[in-house]
Amino acid sequence: MVPPVSATGTDPTPTLADVLRPGTPKLVVDDVTKVFAGRKQTTTALEHVDLHVDQGELVCLLGASGCGKSTLLSIVAGLETATEGMVTVDGDRVVGPGADRGMVFQAYSLFPWKSVARNIAFGLETAGWPKARRQERVDELLGIMGLTTFADALPKELSGGMRQRVAIARALAPEPDMLLLDEPFGALDAETKRHMQDFLLSLWHRTGTTILMVTHDIEEAIYLSQRIYVLAARPGRVAAEIAIPFGGARGPNTKRDPRFLDLRDELADLLAT
Amino acid sequence: MTTVDQAGSWPAGARAAAGDAVTDVATDVVGDAAPAVPGEGATPGTRGRRPSRLLGIRTEVPASWRIGFGVIGVLAILALWFWSSQGDSALIATPSESWSAFTQMVGDGTFQTDLWASAQRVLIGYGISMVIGIVLGIATGTFAAVDAFFEPMIGFLRYIPAPALIPLFLLLLGIDESPKIWLIVVGTAFYNVLMTADVARAVPREMINASYTLGAGRWRILRRVILPHSVPGIIDVARINLAAAWSMLVVAELLAAQSGLGYQLIRSQRFRAIDAMFAILIAFGVIGLLSDVLLRQVRNRVAPWSRP
Repeated sequence: MVPPVSATGTDPTPTLADVLRPGTPKLVVDDVTKVFAGRKQTTTALEHVDLHVDQGELVCLLGASGCGKSTLLSIVAGLETATEGMVTVDGDRVVGPGADRGMVFQAYSLFPWKSVARNIAFGLETAGWPKARRQERVDELLGIMGLTTFADALPKELSGGMRQRVAIARALAPEPDMLLLDEPFGALDAETKRHMQDFLLSLWHRTGTTILMVTHDIEEAIYLSQRIYVLAARPGRVAAEIAIPFGGARGPNTKRDPRFLDLRDELADLLAT
Repeated sequence: MTTVDQAGSWPAGARAAAGDAVTDVATDVVGDAAPAVPGEGATPGTRGRRPSRLLGIRTEVPASWRIGFGVIGVLAILALWFWSSQGDSALIATPSESWSAFTQMVGDGTFQTDLWASAQRVLIGYGISMVIGIVLGIATGTFAAVDAFFEPMIGFLRYIPAPALIPLFLLLLGIDESPKIWLIVVGTAFYNVLMTADVARAVPREMINASYTLGAGRWRILRRVILPHSVPGIIDVARINLAAAWSMLVVAELLAAQSGLGYQLIRSQRFRAIDAMFAILIAFGVIGLLSDVLLRQVRNRVAPWSRP
């Protein structure tokens, strides 16, 4: 057992990001190991993973397929349990899934029989919000997401990008402490993906939500994050922690910034090893 | 592109003929290089297999063709029937004899009485079977422990032919309605359970996980996610296994009944009323077809989201 994490964080070796942007660790992944015991062999999906996400931060977990990044996100969500180690949010130990950690999946997670508005309202009904407040919150999110005219549409009537906006709105509705995104734009075409990245950034600026996002897309990770954890595979472990120097300002020119290009090469090398 | 490799593999004559084409071939697409092949000169050939219009694998045919083929199929079976009923064969009634037998049965009311007697048994028996199928099927498809409990049991029980239970049912339940109803239940419930379990298993993992991360508990997910997602699939299961329910009913009515379409069938046999037998056989087909269409309508009405 590890002592509870204090509000200010007591990491003995402050990372670069801590120095640049001292914050409160919202989420702490403490020495997490995940072993899948199969019949013939056991696979170590994650080995001694330590990381944290500060209040209001946007952090990406970057890694090639099979590095255990989605497993790690599932453990943070409480959908899987760590074999060793633990995850805490605001010092509370995560023992299972909850609406405080809203999650967005790559695809197929919207309720196909519910309208856009009813999809967004699902978490609010679960939390027992009174009907008037529920309606207010759904309307607010429909506005933020640019989906007001599609309130009564079924998911199958929407484009891929719109569906992911509904999924994000649904996860945001019950006002979670943080948002977990599991390759949310992985199934979208390049153009839609770019739009959704900018949309996510503006949403993040607007709501100040803490975001932990899994991706295998290097440029996406640099463009969106304040920090990146690079995961190496077999066994999954943190290979590097990289602070992104652009602050909050991102735009079309970010991707032409020489620092962006340097980071891209550096991360490509890290992923290749 | 025509590459040196390809050119090198051409026969000598072709290489010579291609010689002047090679200079401009770099800016051309492959197809344009075809005239350079010796022999026919400048007529372009064709490449690839032409797809079959009539029997393409998993390709649609025009709607008019679909209807046409359906009509031809129905006419074919009618023609076969008509042809085989001709001549002196007294064992096959002609369509017109069957029709007049049918109108006569409707006229004196026996058809309606028997239809209602049979339909009642199917509705009650199959209703019980569907309730068992939905409750146990959803539980089996959702909880691994329930699955483990029922799997070997049902795997064994469903191989006991349901009609083999009739003698036992007659002893246990007497000869009134209940043995017929329970035969329908026993003959269809296992399939309803197994197929409904597959329907419940088809709920995407991510949808269930998303519900958890929205704060829903197991009971809420069962009621608000797994059940609604399974509704169209359950209606399809009901539609498919309904045919088995009618089969079980007829088996029961042939053996021990004083009413019902199956009873009327065996009675017609005794009196060698071949025309009435044919009328009842066709009535079964029509009833099945109508209930199939009806259940499809219900499915599309209840779950428009699942319409392709």
